[in-house]
Amino acid sequence: MARLVDPLVVGRVIGEVVDLFVPSIFMTVAYGPKDISNGCLLKPSAAAAPPLVRISGRRNDLYTLIMTDPDAPSPSDPTMREYLQWIVANIPGGTDATKGEEVVAYMGPRPPVGIHRYVLVLFEQKTRVHAEAPEERANFNTRAFAARHELGLPTAVVYFNSQKEPANRRR
Amino acid sequence: MAAFPSASASPSLAMSASTWRMASLRAALPSLRPSPAGRLRSSFSLAATATAASVGCLGSFSGLAPVSNLLSLGAENSSFEHRLFGIDAHGRIVAMRHGKRIPRLNRPPDQRKALLRGLTTQLLKHGRIKTTKPRAKAMRKYVEKMITLAKDGSLHKRRQALAFIYEKHIVHALFAEVADRYGDREGGYTRIIPTFPRRGDNAPMAYIELV
Repeated sequence: MARLVDPLVVGRVIGEVVDLFVPSIFMTVAYGPKDISNGCLLKPSAAAAPPLVRISGRRNDLYTLIMTDPDAPSPSDPTMREYLQWIVANIPGGTDATKGEEVVAYMGPRPPVGIHRYVLVLFEQKTRVHAEAPEERANFNTRAFAARHELGLPTAVVYFNSQKEPANRRR
Repeated sequence: MAAFPSASASPSLAMSASTWRMASLRAALPSLRPSPAGRLRSSFSLAATATAASVGCLGSFSGLAPVSNLLSLGAENSSFEHRLFGIDAHGRIVAMRHGKRIPRLNRPPDQRKALLRGLTTQLLKHGRIKTTKPRAKAMRKYVEKMITLAKDGSLHKRRQALAFIYEKHIVHALFAEVADRYGDREGGYTRIIPTFPRRGDNAPMAYIELV
């Protein structure tokens, strides 16, 4: 019975970051050799460089990718929800994120306290978007951003977890 | 007329049987553990202290107890060994675990309590932790109990919370912020999300987070 529930709903990504949607595009996110699956744990050092995000879709369509952290600064006290990590706009379908325009530069996960979720949301654009970067990364709202640029519901969402590595090597 | 002597004998026997107490019956049984460390499988309840006290004070009452080899068997300080049977709160012998809902977590009661105290402290500090699924399920009760104490907010409840949580700044922060965070929510302050098993021993892991 538990397997039928979407991991995005179980991890409360749908509800806190995005609304319920129907996924229509395949998106694979890879940090180095490893692909991301929903809820996997990644070290911040492994995610320091921007990932390789490959999407399907038609060549004429343009997509926007947003990466946020809804648990900033701490999951028990998310006063800065959401913390913006990356925005790439105007990605042509069927390619990867390097072919788009980076509106907000990539910032790797840096969770100070607790285990944070990092959510990557893909939207389909109706027209070419000229997005301006927000003044500050904290208190970002994905839904408001999507409403402002008429992006509608997301087409693909994936999330992973990350926590601060201790200074000395763990077992 | 042979019935009458037996009839007159049996009531007197019955009366003397009814004057026997539970305590002396228990003393007659072989005492497996002389130390009242809550081995009778109910860690926090009053019944544990009552039975432990009664068995413990009768451990010294060795008049009716059988020979010292059994006492020396019980005197070894091992918490993990498999007991063949235990005695419940009614003085009955039980060999099975029917209806016992306390998770033992493979630890004796003092270590179990310390583990749960440490886990709830860390969850209240970090907001989301990753641990094994049985531990996450066992800890829900204590985390929610702490949040309920904080919702009450009086000095007595604060001192009760301070007695359980290891770091006092966490208690003060919890009492300060719980009203606006969980004021409307009735119960269900935690969520458990299962995740991939641990590599070393394939233990089922789960994230537990505050709602």
